[in-house]
Amino acid sequence: MARYGMALDYKNCIDCKACESACKEENGVLLGADKHRIWVGTKEVEGEFPFLSISSSGFVPSQCQHCEAAPCQEVCPTNATYYDENGVVRVDADKCILCTYCMNACPYDARYVDDRTMTVDKCNFCSDTRLARGETTTACQNTCPTKVRTFGDLDDPYSEISELLRRRDHYSLKAHLGTKPKLFYLT
Amino acid sequence: MSIKEFVASIPVNKVGFKDIFGYEKTPRNLILTVLTFGLLAMFAAGVGLYLLHGHHAYNVTREHPWGLLLAAYIFFVVSSTGLCIIGSLGDVFGFKDYELISKRAIFGSIVTILSGFAVILFEIGHPVTMVIYNVLTPGLTSAIWWMGTLYGLYLTFMIIEFVFLLKGDAKFAKYFGLVGLIIGLAAHSNLGAVFGFLNARPISNGVYFPMYFILTAFITGVFIAYLFMGFRYKLKFPERVKKMLTNLGKIQIFLLSFLAFFMTWKMLTDLYGGMPNRADVAHHILGSWTFWAEVILVIVIPLLVLLKDMGRSHVAMFYASFSGMAGIAFMRYNLIHDTQVKPLQMLKVYEYQLPPTWIHYSPSAAEWMISLGGIGLCITLYYLGTKFFNLDADEGHAEQKA
Amino acid sequence: MQIEMSRRKFLQGTVAMSIVGGSAVSATNLLAKDDKVEKKLTFTTKTGEAKELKLVPTLCEMCVNKCAAIARMEDGVVTKLDPNPMFPKSKNMLCPRGNAGIQALYDPDRLKYPLVRIGEKGDGKYKRVTWDEAYEAILNGTDRFKGLAAILEEEEDNRSTIGYCAGEGMAEHTYKVFMQDKLGSSNFVNHASICLQTTVSGYALTIGGYGQADLENANYVIMAGANRAEAIVTPDTMDLFKRTKGRGAKLIVVDPRFTNTASHADKWLPIEVGTDLAFVLALTYVAIEENIYNKKFVELNFNGFEEYKEHILTSKYTPEWAEKITGIRASDIRQVARDFMAAAPRAIYYQGRRTAWSKQDFQLRRAQAIFSAMGGGIDREGGIIFGKKLPLGKHNINTPMYDNAQERIDKKAAAIIGGSGSWIGWRNTILEEKAAYPVRSMFVYKQNPMLSIPNTAKTKQLFEKMDLVVVIDTMPSDTAMMADVILPECTYLEREDPVKSFGSAQPAIALRQKVIDPMYDTKPVIEIIRGLAEKVSRPLFEITKKFDSEVQDAIKERGEESVYKEDGFDLADAFRHSQEEINKHMVVEKYGEEAYKTLLKEGVYYPNMDKFWKQISNNEFQWYPKKERFYSVVEGEFKSDVFHDTCVDEKEIAVLKKEFKTPSGKVECVLPNLAKRGVSPMPSWDDTQFTQIPEGKFKFITGRHAQFTQNSSSNNVMLLELMPENYLWINKRVAESKGIKFGDNVEVKSKVGQITIKAYPTEKIGPNNLFFIHGFGADSDGLTFAKGNGAADNHIIEDIIEPVFGSAAMHETIVEVRKV
Repeated sequence: MARYGMALDYKNCIDCKACESACKEENGVLLGADKHRIWVGTKEVEGEFPFLSISSSGFVPSQCQHCEAAPCQEVCPTNATYYDENGVVRVDADKCILCTYCMNACPYDARYVDDRTMTVDKCNFCSDTRLARGETTTACQNTCPTKVRTFGDLDDPYSEISELLRRRDHYSLKAHLGTKPKLFYLT
Repeated sequence: MSIKEFVASIPVNKVGFKDIFGYEKTPRNLILTVLTFGLLAMFAAGVGLYLLHGHHAYNVTREHPWGLLLAAYIFFVVSSTGLCIIGSLGDVFGFKDYELISKRAIFGSIVTILSGFAVILFEIGHPVTMVIYNVLTPGLTSAIWWMGTLYGLYLTFMIIEFVFLLKGDAKFAKYFGLVGLIIGLAAHSNLGAVFGFLNARPISNGVYFPMYFILTAFITGVFIAYLFMGFRYKLKFPERVKKMLTNLGKIQIFLLSFLAFFMTWKMLTDLYGGMPNRADVAHHILGSWTFWAEVILVIVIPLLVLLKDMGRSHVAMFYASFSGMAGIAFMRYNLIHDTQVKPLQMLKVYEYQLPPTWIHYSPSAAEWMISLGGIGLCITLYYLGTKFFNLDADEGHAEQKA
Repeated sequence: MQIEMSRRKFLQGTVAMSIVGGSAVSATNLLAKDDKVEKKLTFTTKTGEAKELKLVPTLCEMCVNKCAAIARMEDGVVTKLDPNPMFPKSKNMLCPRGNAGIQALYDPDRLKYPLVRIGEKGDGKYKRVTWDEAYEAILNGTDRFKGLAAILEEEEDNRSTIGYCAGEGMAEHTYKVFMQDKLGSSNFVNHASICLQTTVSGYALTIGGYGQADLENANYVIMAGANRAEAIVTPDTMDLFKRTKGRGAKLIVVDPRFTNTASHADKWLPIEVGTDLAFVLALTYVAIEENIYNKKFVELNFNGFEEYKEHILTSKYTPEWAEKITGIRASDIRQVARDFMAAAPRAIYYQGRRTAWSKQDFQLRRAQAIFSAMGGGIDREGGIIFGKKLPLGKHNINTPMYDNAQERIDKKAAAIIGGSGSWIGWRNTILEEKAAYPVRSMFVYKQNPMLSIPNTAKTKQLFEKMDLVVVIDTMPSDTAMMADVILPECTYLEREDPVKSFGSAQPAIALRQKVIDPMYDTKPVIEIIRGLAEKVSRPLFEITKKFDSEVQDAIKERGEESVYKEDGFDLADAFRHSQEEINKHMVVEKYGEEAYKTLLKEGVYYPNMDKFWKQISNNEFQWYPKKERFYSVVEGEFKSDVFHDTCVDEKEIAVLKKEFKTPSGKVECVLPNLAKRGVSPMPSWDDTQFTQIPEGKFKFITGRHAQFTQNSSSNNVMLLELMPENYLWINKRVAESKGIKFGDNVEVKSKVGQITIKAYPTEKIGPNNLFFIHGFGADSDGLTFAKGNGAADNHIIEDIIEPVFGSAAMHETIVEVRKV
């Protein structure tokens, strides 16, 4: 089927956190400081007032990178973490034994425990909510005021994300670990 | 011979309630009794808290998902592997000096791994699911899957070996012992690999942990051998035992030196290997008191005692083994904590927070209770074992072999 | 793709439980002093497979922007709010507050029933009553407080003894129609004087309108004090930040704080608080001195420019002069002026919104408008545009005349007092007993003056002084706690509001439709007003009959029933129709039935929408093709009636403008009729109006951020999730010298009050200032999550009045800080 990925024009991000609340509302993520599928990281501005470095500041939205070689998937003893037919890294709550090895193995801090099922949860590109209803955007992309995110099929050469990745320079987080993330940060 | 007959032929002492509590009421024994019951009560209380609150009874977090229970589990399974090695010296490899501890060590390895399993049972969120899906959808790339599966096999082999030892069947004991040992070493090195495979954690990644786990298992086994013999002979060791303990002491000198050598190079490469993330953590480790507790209790004190007269101070070594085991407990905790101490999320996610530095973790009451309770389980099972089974070397069997 | 069942099963359980659990919590908790309820409440809104799914387009009301949303209803529960891509103003986005609107609807602490006070004022003891009992209490009072009838009887039908205030909102007008046009009070105060009065008036009087900054097409933007990354305004926020960071527009941020907006700037100029006027005057000086302004535009469109030029030059508003005042280097000022004029006319000095800063604020906005206009960027693409507003049909109201009603009491509070008054001036006039007659009753709709007006202690006194306080709100705010009668309004998702036309280059009409029926015993304000009007209409008319000689004469002439009905004394007659009927009438009258159907279906309507609207990509839409947009109004004319959600009565300013001696339609550099009122006719710096900071003290500033809208959202669990409380920004080195570390409790004290708050030492603020965001620190026992959470700025902000329009000057307060 598809091979879903997301490109982030992250320099547009204003840290309003609309994506975080949209994600929580859409996917029924519980409230709680460390219960989040996605987040916006803030860089601490460098320098002393009034000589602050604008370039050192900024915001980095992040989440599960949906790696093609996902460490979390490799370490799962029961294959509860799996790649679905669209290359989305998913968790099957019925199989998860909460050994939390995946939480330790994920280099991106993308996983947390859902207190209702007491199993590990993570971003799934809204696969069981929006995509299941036939929508084509994730909650975070749809709501973003400055349109940081572009979600789409990397295998489709005509898709917007493919076009964007051909045209714009981009990088991936912790690419040196060989995880082959499918989140791309546009520069 | 049918299975029923086989089971019936295993020599087991007829033990009544009176026998179990019929020990000498010395102050030392009474203290030990109270202590054991205290530990068992703690275990029960800890499990109670877990049943009430689930994982919320623990202080594990998104950043620090593995806590004291995992350290305790490792502590027990390392002890088990260590005892298996010690037991195999006589049994499998035929070093006669060590045959007198074989049965006791193999029994010890069963007791410790059962305690380990008892502890991890309350760490794994869904043990029943685990049993089902370990089989239905095995994660063959997962070190935890291999570790768990192999430990299960290992336990089976250890029990069979023990049965044959009880029956005095040296040949079968040897075969099962050998396979058990190999599986045990495989399982145990896989436990090391659980950490070694983590590419998110440069401090753990690599071949070091699988090797180090085997080495420290051997060391742990020697410490426990001292404790077993000390209690068995109330520190008045017969000559045969003294000879074995001296030999074990010499081995331990070698092992501890090796460990010190390993750790030194691990630390040097961590610090100066040119990987900043790893070096940060190494610096952090050097600054933590638990690391130095580990070094002093496991290496410095036992080595000083052993080196004083090359392993001949058996009584001193008995006491030094307490130090060693306490240090091993630190070692397991450090291993768990240091792996997770560096946050994976280095950016602030709230405006009003300090930039992430080091992850803090301190075990909750329930975690302490279950972990310490595991030791209570260990002592209880072992004590019962000494009553039900003859754990001393069968003189006749030794002679027969000779 | 199939829907995973296992996961959905438990999600379904969660919703039902959280709603039931939520109301159970609040039923016992509401207004009871009970700390047993834990501040941790897990809350989610997500159903499983819905039997009935409904998508309803509506408009958000989590702040004043009115972004278009589509509510998803699953089995009668609102489970998600998504952006509506049809609306050109909000451009297919919902901010975090928009997404958290569900939690406002299902807030366990909501006001659920009409309540009448049974305890002392402010102690939070109320009795649940029926609507009729509540209206009865308003009319005739109880043993605890007086009713309207008694007050008007004693004041001989002076309707202006009933004061009223309102927060910004689509139904604000309905409420105002009742209070002003029907009930007959002139004493209205709204948020304008604590918000955008000075900038709207400054721009209106100078360039003919506040307009809209066309940030989508501007190449150079100076944002001074405005913080569009955190104080979100649509479409400005979206337009601006899609193009910054070296991709199109240059952004200069002038702010004493390093805000999220500054983080996107090409240049950040930290400025001494309260000195922006000096900065703009120096920019003007450079443009004039270096002759780099748009001379053709100025020649054609300016009035009094030569005089202004002379004034700037002779006053020697040089960059060097400004450097000493503002702390911004002269070379930076020169550079900004040159770059601005080089980019002009696609260059904007951003107008700003909440501009209640300093005493010189009105002149600052005038100076900005003139400087912007000197580049030619007015009424054209890439500049400040006026656009077009689609007209709506009319809804006529029969307004009674009350002979005994008097003019508002705060006319002397400042040089020009408009219809929305000066909140501080009005309050203080009453407290200082300088009013010509007593104001004895106060109606509050959707505003929380206890926390939104500087100097809370005085606001509290105001409410204590009143014989009758009526609060209409959705939440038991600090102000509701001062009420005698509380009337619970339903939230925006439970009501249809008046249809609204949004003017811009891409104008549209949008409708807030009801998503679900009102929960509990709540009502939309139009129904609340209808019920109240029906109750009080006759009895109050009896009082008028007694004291109003004109009415007495009319009755003699035409008979009582005729006067009552035909002269509008039947107060309920304006509210007989439902909101739905009124809206339909207003749209159908102008655009026909089909347009109305489209509006109901899409939530948005504009002519040719079916042809113009297009989805270009996942994130991009076209609302109007570029050549169809209204960048320029009729050539040479500035008679725009477009005021974008400004809440300032445009008629007020129009009256002033008509008095100008210069021909209309030109940029007014000099306003001689202001001089008559003692206001400088040209922007000029007045040193005596500048507040110096004494050694060891700080000037306190306040502001907003993206996750909360002032006080109204302070109890929203989803938003508290994103930012649990506010912290005091204090310069890192200053904090260090005082031994203050992150999270330490500190006390901030001014002349009028003190608060305790946690410290956030940061280099993002200078050593002369302290800051924390507005909207926290509620005291109301009814607010489980907001009570005692952080600190409220207006507890310490002094009630200093800006002298031209009577706005609050919120950045003039001197404070000290110490660790506690």
